[in-house]
Amino acid sequence: MEASLNGSKTATIVARAQALFDDLSFASAREWKAAAPGRKVVGYMPIYVPREIIHAAGMLPLGIVGGGDQLEVIHGDAYYQSYICRIPRSTIELGVSGRLDFVDGMLFPSICDVIRNLSGMWKMMFPNVYVRYFDVPQNYRDDIGGNYYVNELTELMHHLGELRGQPITDDELRHSIAGYNENRRLVRELYSFRAQRPWQAPAAEVYLALRAGLVLPVEQHTEMLRDYLAAAASEERPRRDNCRIVLTGVFCEQPPLNLIKSLELAGCYVVDDDLLLVTRWLTADVPTEGNPLHNLALAFLHQSESTAAKYEPNLKEKGQHLVRAVRRSGAEGVIFACPSFCDPALLERPMLQHVLKDADIPYIAFKYAENSGQMQPIREQAGTFADSIKLWSGT
Amino acid sequence: MTVTVGIDVGTGVVKAALFRVENGDATWLSRATLRIRQRDPMELARIVYDQLLADAKLSEREVDYVATTGEGEGVPFHTGHFYSMTTHARGAIYLDPASRAALDVGALHGRAISIDERGKVLSYKMTSQCASGSGQFLENIARYLGVAQDEIGSLSHKADRPEVVSSICAVLAETDVINMVSRGISASNILKGIHLSMAARLSKLLKSIGATGGVVMMTGGLALDEGLVTALKEDVAKMKDMKIEVRNHPDSIYAGAIGAALWGAYRFEKLAALGEVPKAA
Repeated sequence: MEASLNGSKTATIVARAQALFDDLSFASAREWKAAAPGRKVVGYMPIYVPREIIHAAGMLPLGIVGGGDQLEVIHGDAYYQSYICRIPRSTIELGVSGRLDFVDGMLFPSICDVIRNLSGMWKMMFPNVYVRYFDVPQNYRDDIGGNYYVNELTELMHHLGELRGQPITDDELRHSIAGYNENRRLVRELYSFRAQRPWQAPAAEVYLALRAGLVLPVEQHTEMLRDYLAAAASEERPRRDNCRIVLTGVFCEQPPLNLIKSLELAGCYVVDDDLLLVTRWLTADVPTEGNPLHNLALAFLHQSESTAAKYEPNLKEKGQHLVRAVRRSGAEGVIFACPSFCDPALLERPMLQHVLKDADIPYIAFKYAENSGQMQPIREQAGTFADSIKLWSGT
Repeated sequence: MTVTVGIDVGTGVVKAALFRVENGDATWLSRATLRIRQRDPMELARIVYDQLLADAKLSEREVDYVATTGEGEGVPFHTGHFYSMTTHARGAIYLDPASRAALDVGALHGRAISIDERGKVLSYKMTSQCASGSGQFLENIARYLGVAQDEIGSLSHKADRPEVVSSICAVLAETDVINMVSRGISASNILKGIHLSMAARLSKLLKSIGATGGVVMMTGGLALDEGLVTALKEDVAKMKDMKIEVRNHPDSIYAGAIGAALWGAYRFEKLAALGEVPKAA
C-alpha cells in the first residue's frame, strides 16, 4: 500500500477510508446524525443484517466489528471468561466507554452463542437502546424458512418504523434495495477486479474500502467504491511474483490490518476472502418489483454466501463454496485465519480442510485475535506457504 | 538465458549475488555485501544492486528477476520474495551438492534446515528469541574484550581451558563474561567457551530436525567464524548418534542471496513458459 501513498487518486481514497477505520469515536456517523433533526443510527454486528430495512427507515446502518488493535479493553474483560473471543469484549468496551452513546438501536445477528448472549447483555446495560437478536432461517424451503424469515423481517420493519415514529413503506424499502443492489454490484466488481489484477488492488486497500461501507451512508460508499475502482485500474503498480490465495475464517472478529498487509508482504496475493460479508452477503440483485420483504427473504434463502456461520443442510455441498471460490478467483491455495475461540470458524475448519484436501488444494491455518501484534510467525508461515506453492506445486 | 539477482537483507549485513542461468548452468557474475550499521536496509539494497550491475557490466533492463530474502520484502524493486529457509536450502546445495542440511547462523537467529537433493525444505527449526546463540551477541562480546572480529576464530583456536557460558540468555552470558574477565580468564578461553556454548545449542537444533547423517553446510555470517565451526565439529563428534559432517564454504555468507537468485531464475523460467512473466525490478 505504501507504494500508492504518493498523492495519487487511489492514495486519497485509501487515506479517507483509513481515517474512517482508525476513528473509534465514529465521528462520521455522529456528524451524519447531527446534520438533521430526528436522524437515527442503528448499529449491527457481523455477519449479516438486511441493511435495506434500516436505510428505508431513513436511519444510518452502522457496522460494529469490535474495537480492533487500537482499543485498550479495560471493562470488557470483566464481562467474559478467558476462553471467549475478543470481539464481544471490545464491543462492550465501545459501549461502556460512551463511544456508541449516539446509537439508537443495535442488531445482533445469529452468528454464535456469544453474540446472541451479547444481545441480552446489551438490553440490560443500555435499556434506552432498541436491541434485537436478529435470527435467520436454518431451513431453506420457501414455505418454512422463507415464511419464518418474512415474519422476522416484518417484525424488524415494524419495530424500526416505531423507532422513527412512522411506518416504513414498501416503496421506501424498494428504493433502499435498489441502492444496496448497486453497492453490492460494485463490491462484486471490486472483488472480480482484484482477482484478475491483485497487484493493482492490494488486500489492505480493498479491505479499507469495504470497511468504509460500515460507517458511511450507502450512497457515499457506492461513490467511494466507484472512484476507487477507476483509480486502481488507472494506476500502474509493480506486479510481484506472489502466489494467489483465498483468505477464509475472517468473517466475524476482524484480523488486524497489519495481518492482512503481512500476508501480501509474505508473498500471498489475497484474491478472495470472507471479510465483511455483510457488504456482499447477497450474491445477486434483489428484485425491486413485487413484495420487497419476500424478495429479501428469497434472496437470503437462495442467493446468499455460504459461510461457517450459515447452516448447510446438504452434506455434499459442505465446503464447496470454498472450492468454487478458489476456482473462480484462480487461487492456488487457502489460508485459514480464524479468531481464537471462534466456534463457527474453528469447528468448521477441519471439515473445510477435508474438502480442500479432496480437491487437491493446499492450505495452511493459524489463529489471531483482533489485537494480535506479533506478525512475524504469521509472515513466516504465509511466506513458507507461498514458497511451497511457487516452487513445488505440480512437481 | 536468464539474469537474476538475489538480495538477502539480514539483521547485520545486506548480501547480494547476480547470476546468469543458461540451460541449467548458473554462472555467478558479481557479488556484494554491505554492513547495515544503523543505516536504512532498503537504501543499502539499492546500493548493492547498483554495485552488482556495475561489476557485471549489465543494465537494470537486462535483469529478468530480482529476488529478495531475509527482511527484504520491502525492497521496492523486487520481483519476488522467498523465505530464508527456502533460500539457504538452495544456497547450501549450490555451495555443496552433497548438503542434506543447512545450518544458517546469522546476526540474530540460528536455523537448522533439513533438505533434499533439490534444495527442498523438509523440516526446519529456529533458535528461540534469545540472542545468546547469535552473531550479534558474539560481536558484542568481542567488542567488550577489545578483540577485532576477524581475530575471534584464531583466538578461539588458541584456548587451553575454555570457560563455558550460559547458552540460555544473552544477559546471563554477558554477566558470565564480565565475571570471567574479573577472574583473569584469557580472551581465548572466553571466546572458545562462547563458541562451545553456541555449538551445543546448534547441534541440538540439528538433532531436532533429524539431521543425524550426511553433510551439514553452515551458511550465514557466522559460517566464516572458524572458531565456531571447530567447536561445532567437536560437539557433534561427542554425540554418539550424530554422524554428520559439518562443512563451511568461503561464500557461505552469500547462501541466502545465492538461493534467492537461483530460485528467481527457476520462477522466471516457469512463468515465462506460462506466459505470465512479472514486471522485473
